[in-house]
Amino acid sequence: MSNLIDRRAPENTTPFVTGLADAVLREIAELLDTLIETGETGIIDLHSLPMTDADRDMLKEGLGEGEVRVDLDVAGPSRIEETGTAGVWWVRHEGADGRIAAELIEVTRIPEILLSHPDDIREGRTRLREHLDEAGETGTEELAE
Amino acid sequence: MTKDRTLGEHMSRRGISRRAFGKYCAYLASTMALSPKMAPAMAQGLAAARRQAVIWLSFQECTGCTESFTRSYSPTLEDLIFDFISLDYHHTLQAASGEAAELAREQSMEENKGKYIVVVDGSVPTKDGGVYSMIAGHTNVDILASTIENAFAVVAVGTCAAFGGLPYAKPNPTGAVAISELVGNKPLINIPGCPPVPEAMTGTIAHILAFGSLPELDDKHRPLAFFGESIHDRCYRRSFYERGLFAKSFDDEGARKGWCLYEVGCKGPIAYNTCATTKWNGGTSFPIQSGHTCFACGSPNFWDQGGFYKSLPSRTSSIGTVAGATAAAGVALGAGAALIAANRKKQYSKET
Ligand code: SF4
Repeated sequence: MSNLIDRRAPENTTPFVTGLADAVLREIAELLDTLIETGETGIIDLHSLPMTDADRDMLKEGLGEGEVRVDLDVAGPSRIEETGTAGVWWVRHEGADGRIAAELIEVTRIPEILLSHPDDIREGRTRLREHLDEAGETGTEELAE
Repeated sequence: MTKDRTLGEHMSRRGISRRAFGKYCAYLASTMALSPKMAPAMAQGLAAARRQAVIWLSFQECTGCTESFTRSYSPTLEDLIFDFISLDYHHTLQAASGEAAELAREQSMEENKGKYIVVVDGSVPTKDGGVYSMIAGHTNVDILASTIENAFAVVAVGTCAAFGGLPYAKPNPTGAVAISELVGNKPLINIPGCPPVPEAMTGTIAHILAFGSLPELDDKHRPLAFFGESIHDRCYRRSFYERGLFAKSFDDEGARKGWCLYEVGCKGPIAYNTCATTKWNGGTSFPIQSGHTCFACGSPNFWDQGGFYKSLPSRTSSIGTVAGATAAAGVALGAGAALIAANRKKQYSKET
């Protein structure tokens, strides 16, 4: 495990299950309440919690495995998975070397990073229009020849 | 790059989408223990910002800080900072030399009056008229004074700039002083460390860009996000400390079992820095994880504290309130760390 949140203690020393998984699951349940009742989304930064590998496994188990998995290639890889609990997403951003840069639980209908940003859409349209204009000009020239 | 283009426009022309800003800010918020809910607003702020002019001055130093800064390692995510800033002057990195280099500095100062950031590494010699370190015929004292005059803020990177560092060590033959002695009322951020953790440098600069203001600082001008807790607070060997299990030498059984290094001179309890969580070399490790003690290289006077391998005077009194209180209360590692995480969150909640 090479990542920013490697907090492994040497063997046989500290208890591996700290109870944090349970606490996080309860927080997620509350965030789901809010999402259902008000539509407000929630985020938990897993990096800030001193979770052990065992805690992490417990959390994964508690949420279950879902049916959506998205791989992004944005300044290094990112993996975004909906867990078996609908509306609860596990977001993992990595640097180029596979090191975890951020790990979040997002409680939302869809994590914002998956949506196309309006500025990107505008930029895409400009490029497409430029391309079409150029292609149009070349086409006209070819016809004239 | 055209100076009046926003970072968003600039990056988009290079085929880098707004998602990259979102991801960078999620990373930044996590590293700085800011609420993850702030990331979208930060991304928005960053995308709307202009490229930040930075003038980097190197005085009495070893270039280790620059080495560290340029090794924020990953060629993708963390390196985005180099797209966000315009490093207009830096002795070691700039291609120009001599008069052309000095001209670049003056031009940047003129064009970005009141907006540029001055990064300084190294202390400044003041003895004998400051003759012990001169650049282009000017003393460090004069260069610093003229460069910061119209700066937005000064960032002192490395322990030499922040606290005097090795040049300031007894008997301090050059009369070296920390940058804080010479900046008057200019906003100052200290990012100590020998060298500083790269993420502490890049994260602080990105914070200024995204919010247009300085991050929250402690009484020594250090960003709380990176220097708010001691190495001891976040050390994975802490449970041994609490249980009184100490290595007595570097090759004894305790050392092999990974026990606490306090008695072989660990200065973790008085060291405020981010090594234990951010770690080094792409999150690989930090000195204590490699079996060595912490020197407290980011603390004032770390070089004159009676020896790197001499243990701190007393387990309870010298450590101060944090360790004293938690040790007395018998807080276990996990619970202690969780509490700390909660406190950090609280500290920053007002920014949300
Ligand atoms: S004294 Fe040093 S090794 Fe021991 S727990 Fe504190 S920081 Fe870790």
